Amino acid sequence: MKALVSWFNDRTGFCDWCGRLAESPVSGRACCCKVVPCVIALLFCVQAITGFFLWVYYSPSAQTAWESVYFLQNEVIGGWLLRAIHHYSAHVLLAVLIVAVLQSILTRAYRAPRELVFWATLGLGLLALAAVLTGDLLSWDQNGYAATKTRTGFLPLLPYVGDSLLKIAIGGPGPALGSLSLTRFFAMHVGLFGGGFLLLLILRGILARRASARTVAAGGESGCCGGSGTAVPYWPAQAWRGAVACLVVLGVVALLACQHGVRPPQAGAPLLSPADTNPLNAYDAARPEWFLVGVYEFSHLFPGEWAIIPIFIVPGLLVCVVLAMPFVGKHPIGQGFNVLFTVLLLAAIVGLTYYSYAKDRADPVHQKAIAVERWQAERVGELIRHNDGIPPAGALSLLRTDAKAEGRRLFAQQCSSCHNHALQGDKVDVVQNMSIEKPSSPNLFDFASRRWIAGLLDPKHIRGPQYFGNTKLRNGEMPKFVKETLGDLDAELKGKLEKVVMALSAEAQLPSQKRLDVKDAKAIAEGRKIMVDDFNCTGCHKFHKDGSLGSAPDLTGYGSTEWIEGIIRNPAHGRYYGKLNDRMPAYGGSNNPAQDALSPEQIRLLAEWLRGEWYEEEMMKDE
Amino acid sequence: MAVPTMAGVVAFLNPLRQKSQGGQFMRLASLDAIPEDGTPLKVSVIADRTDAWSRFPRESIGAVFLSRTAGQPGGKVTALQVICPHAGCSINFDTSGRKYFCPCHAASFDLAGIRTDATSPSPRNMDSLEVEVRDKNEVWVKFQTFGVGTAKKVAQA
Repeated sequence: MKALVSWFNDRTGFCDWCGRLAESPVSGRACCCKVVPCVIALLFCVQAITGFFLWVYYSPSAQTAWESVYFLQNEVIGGWLLRAIHHYSAHVLLAVLIVAVLQSILTRAYRAPRELVFWATLGLGLLALAAVLTGDLLSWDQNGYAATKTRTGFLPLLPYVGDSLLKIAIGGPGPALGSLSLTRFFAMHVGLFGGGFLLLLILRGILARRASARTVAAGGESGCCGGSGTAVPYWPAQAWRGAVACLVVLGVVALLACQHGVRPPQAGAPLLSPADTNPLNAYDAARPEWFLVGVYEFSHLFPGEWAIIPIFIVPGLLVCVVLAMPFVGKHPIGQGFNVLFTVLLLAAIVGLTYYSYAKDRADPVHQKAIAVERWQAERVGELIRHNDGIPPAGALSLLRTDAKAEGRRLFAQQCSSCHNHALQGDKVDVVQNMSIEKPSSPNLFDFASRRWIAGLLDPKHIRGPQYFGNTKLRNGEMPKFVKETLGDLDAELKGKLEKVVMALSAEAQLPSQKRLDVKDAKAIAEGRKIMVDDFNCTGCHKFHKDGSLGSAPDLTGYGSTEWIEGIIRNPAHGRYYGKLNDRMPAYGGSNNPAQDALSPEQIRLLAEWLRGEWYEEEMMKDE
Repeated sequence: MAVPTMAGVVAFLNPLRQKSQGGQFMRLASLDAIPEDGTPLKVSVIADRTDAWSRFPRESIGAVFLSRTAGQPGGKVTALQVICPHAGCSINFDTSGRKYFCPCHAASFDLAGIRTDATSPSPRNMDSLEVEVRDKNEVWVKFQTFGVGTAKKVAQA
């Protein structure tokens, strides 16, 4: 064995090199304040190792990037942990580099002969920042996409070169990012910034050793624990301090990685729903990462015309000031200036960051956008499990053909400026609830259910804001009929009204009332008769064989998918409100399908969503 | 060394040659579909979309707010880009406040797309697009995207 080692050493000099490294002088005495470079090296190794294995699974294209990350996160054993370690240790690395720069400034470690070491540390910080920012896009989820689109959107602020820089950065003319943005960001993330970090880290090590030897030789000191002219070898005193620091940092990374539990999909780094390049579906709650929140809030202090100041000029100047610190520090009051500058800057960033987070926490619109996105991310997982995999068009296609997600989105986009979809009371579902203060049309929550129809046939409610209160139908025949005929009912008529409610609601065949409809079949049959014979609904409405179209909506199949699709297509059709139609536009059914506001598929999804007709994971388990 | 490096750099800079889609008049909606009370209608712009090597027939490539001047039957139609001129986020319409609102940096605009805030983060008003009403009821819009972050409205090439 010994012979083998000696043979190896003879040819490579490796053991001698290790020995020299172990004996390299640490100026002053071994101290905890000198562990930072060791931690940086460790975290870089963690990045390189986890990065390689992520690479094994990653497929950068608009249809496969999110999908491959989802597969790793949910299907590969330990995949979530791999992602989480890579994600959180990158952030910890950035934080450690910030600490390293601060430490150099506060302890004057940037002075001669260590200027280059200081600049190299700063360079490492900037490379880590660039790597984190490019890495953010790679999972191709809503947050990474929106954040990157905003960040690259600032490039054209730069005069002359801005537009070209944007095209080069995102690999196309924009404004949407695409597959070429992914391949570019991936190459820059790994090759340019990852590779550059490694080279600079080695360079920094060489420079630091050289500077250290010079300091010792010159009898100088550095840091909090410098003795005049003394030095100790790196091994063992400083080495074990470094090892302990590395263990502590790894512990922090492990804690961060497991903060959401240890079971995917929630475990580890967050993965929202797949990025949607359609600007109609942009993610509303996108916010920068923690280290940029200060700049983000700072930029709000300036009017938009001057965005170049907070985004490029001020940060650029700040970096220049920090770069100049070794020279400024030579001046008698220079060190004081440097420290004061750093402390003030830090205080400003922390203050702005805190203010920004507090503002977002108190903003209900922002919180709702986050809740909707979290829900959507969960929903896409349910759909993938239901589909037993992801179709070739990508996971987004599942979301866009799901009544629960797409119906909701279409309602929010097309209907919610007039209609509310909101249950009043404590069982409010933040995601499915959509309400505005002054709706101009009926609340469509639970449309055609027994509860909804009972409210419609109640003189107290039909002229209220939940039904016809804000429409021109308020003074029409139906509210008059309800008030005059259904106002004071005796017990017998009340019973009949209940049956009418059941009968009309049964027309919808709502999934939520399936069992009730079967149970009350007899009452429903009686109700149908009462509608014609006692209440004379068919005097105005058509109802199966009785009555005729023209004066009021058809009650045959009222609230069924087919019925709702029809009214969305054209509410002014004779089968619905005809001339009585109040403001609601026709969304489809024109001669040219390309000109319709909604496609037939979209109208079906909207109808199904209103009826609560969608795939539900929990229900499957129960049955 | 020079040849492979040059070949790489030239390939890397290829995106500079590409132009963005848009710049043509497209039919976006029928006039009836736009509410008469001034509330804007957000419509998708549907066209064939190209992303690198993939072509997606009939997909949404953008969106536009269409609105009519309130209280004037057959009033003028305004078309506004949904992309915020500040940082390129997507502007929403706040129905209770009856104004446009960008969720990213809280810029707000009135119904005509004019900034409501003296210190608005947006460097200019919302980008209006050319509108033509053809055959009395067909709303055609020249769909364009503009550079963000500048006071001047520059169509993206």
